[in-house]
Amino acid sequence: MKKEKSPQFDLDEIIAKYRPIVSFRVKKSLGSHTPDWEDVVNEIMVNVLEKLNKGEFRGDSSIGTFIFTITSRRIIDFIRQKSKVLKYAPEPNPYLSPFENIENKERAELTANAIEKLKPKYKKILYLYYYKELSREEVAQKLNISPRRVSERVNYAQKLLRKMIKK
Amino acid sequence: MKKCKHEDLIDDYLLNKLSEEKKQEFEAHYFNCPVCFEKMAERDEILTAIKYKGHTIFQDLEREKGTDRVPLLEQIWTFFTPKQWVLAAATAAVLLVVVLNIVPNLKTESPQFFINDDLVRGGSIKLISPVITVDAVPSQFRWESLGEDVEYKIEIYNHELLWSATTTNNYISLPPEIKERMVAGEKYSWQVKAFSGEGTLIAVSSKVQFPVTK
Repeated sequence: MKKEKSPQFDLDEIIAKYRPIVSFRVKKSLGSHTPDWEDVVNEIMVNVLEKLNKGEFRGDSSIGTFIFTITSRRIIDFIRQKSKVLKYAPEPNPYLSPFENIENKERAELTANAIEKLKPKYKKILYLYYYKELSREEVAQKLNISPRRVSERVNYAQKLLRKMIKK
Repeated sequence: MKKCKHEDLIDDYLLNKLSEEKKQEFEAHYFNCPVCFEKMAERDEILTAIKYKGHTIFQDLEREKGTDRVPLLEQIWTFFTPKQWVLAAATAAVLLVVVLNIVPNLKTESPQFFINDDLVRGGSIKLISPVITVDAVPSQFRWESLGEDVEYKIEIYNHELLWSATTTNNYISLPPEIKERMVAGEKYSWQVKAFSGEGTLIAVSSKVQFPVTK
């Protein structure tokens, strides 16, 4: 009987491509102030590599969906474990700074400086949309423009910031 | 940067505005869509900087906010559309007309009478007799009692005051010398005023005519 061959992967490429995505998802789900988030990411990546090596990925779905499923399961397990352990433990401080490393802090400073230098109309849209967290429709009403225009202006502000930060 | 149809969900995802179902769908999507992930990671950096540095970045806009309030008049004006304002004004005008026409008619008028050309408001005394044409000069004048401790002042007029007297009863007999002065064919009138124990005018009757025919 002919053995079904699992697809071949460049594992380094997979790690390079999916580690940032998995990190983002884990940080978003657990909060970047959770000290264990990097350990969780490492566990997921190891698990992904093991499963790929064992040939558990048969190409029924995309590799992205395969890694997404492993990530989701690990996050759920982590939350379950933590809720058992932390049931009687004191509440952790939820207001820790997200800039736990210097690189992040410098990048945030850079982005903040760039936002300050934006033209008033772009700065105001970021203020209303991201800082005040108004909906597109509310921002549109406040600035007397269409909701579509709000999205366009936010996108353009992002483009400007990208250019300013890369300089 | 290429455009993906899901990228409109990026902001709502980052700001936790998606339902649990949509959130899961979008998470599964960005594991397969480098365009959305790249854009989201970049936008997350902006959002993080704004969330933690916003109070300094937007200092000027926060200060402006205090003075940026829409004036009260403008708020009132923009509350309705011009068409609604016209309708509201017309309704108010109709209501005003209705109220001004109906309310005065609903009001119970207090009795008004004249004494020596002065307008007096107060209670009224009902005269009993004589109140119509009489055949002979009446000997007694009678009116409705207002209770105890009331003093009545009766006045009989021809063209001018003919006789005046006071009593605590609700009737009085005409003295013979006055009766003699009243002749048939003349028109007389009478009026009663009531005073309280302290001498305050509390009620006045209307002035009633009683022509004497014989």
